Amino acid sequence: MEPSLLVRSLSIPNETRELRSVRAFAAEAVHRGGVPKAYENGILLAIDEAVANIITHAYQEGRKDVIEIVIEVDARRFSVIIRDSGTCFDPKTVSTPDLSAHVADGKRNGLGVFLMRRVMDEVEYLFKEGVRNELRMVKYLGT
Amino acid sequence: MPDFEIKTQTLNGGVALVDVKGYLDAHTFEQLDKALGDLFKSKVFRIVVKLDELDYISSAGAGVFIGVFGRAQENQGDIVILKPSPNVREVFDLLGLSQIFKIVEDLPSALKALQTA
Repeated sequence: MEPSLLVRSLSIPNETRELRSVRAFAAEAVHRGGVPKAYENGILLAIDEAVANIITHAYQEGRKDVIEIVIEVDARRFSVIIRDSGTCFDPKTVSTPDLSAHVADGKRNGLGVFLMRRVMDEVEYLFKEGVRNELRMVKYLGT
Repeated sequence: MPDFEIKTQTLNGGVALVDVKGYLDAHTFEQLDKALGDLFKSKVFRIVVKLDELDYISSAGAGVFIGVFGRAQENQGDIVILKPSPNVREVFDLLGLSQIFKIVEDLPSALKALQTA
């Protein structure tokens, strides 16, 4: 028998005011998918950070786009794919921040990817030329 | 519960209590940045930030505290975090900020922490 799989998708305009809807959408998938409560805040955080990064860094001022988020949950894992058509961005190019230096310099940015990596077990970026950027993150629910 | 709300109150001794409620993310962080910047303009650098009703914080929100921490200290002040909610505490822990900021569970402890700033 196939294990039950929950699939949810959401499309949003590239505006920061949509982040609340993104988190509500992810929370619904967490609850319906039976994901342990202890993972909820981290998963919402990783998705919020990923989408916020796209909205704030991937577009020139005023450019409109639609960001697509697809979540799949089964007993073993919570996975999310985020697609956009903005400037491509590879999280692997972002180094681990030195928090003491961040605070000493008052530097506010560059922490989102760090959090995504801390919280999720896999963070993978796929750039499909001429199509869509795709970010895939996985959290294994037994870990 | 409001989406996002900031209430600033002046206490004795030139201390400000800033109560932040709702969610602090890439959409709302600028409001907190402005509220803290306004306190600095008024020469208030000793600030208690109450976060027990802040349901969610992202790196954009945490970045506000990182951004103002040094300026407060340069002016003989400090930023003390009062009663962060579990979700907020988790993000502070993930970022390593719990080792950098003074985090206390009641107002008298916050005021005491500011006296030693």
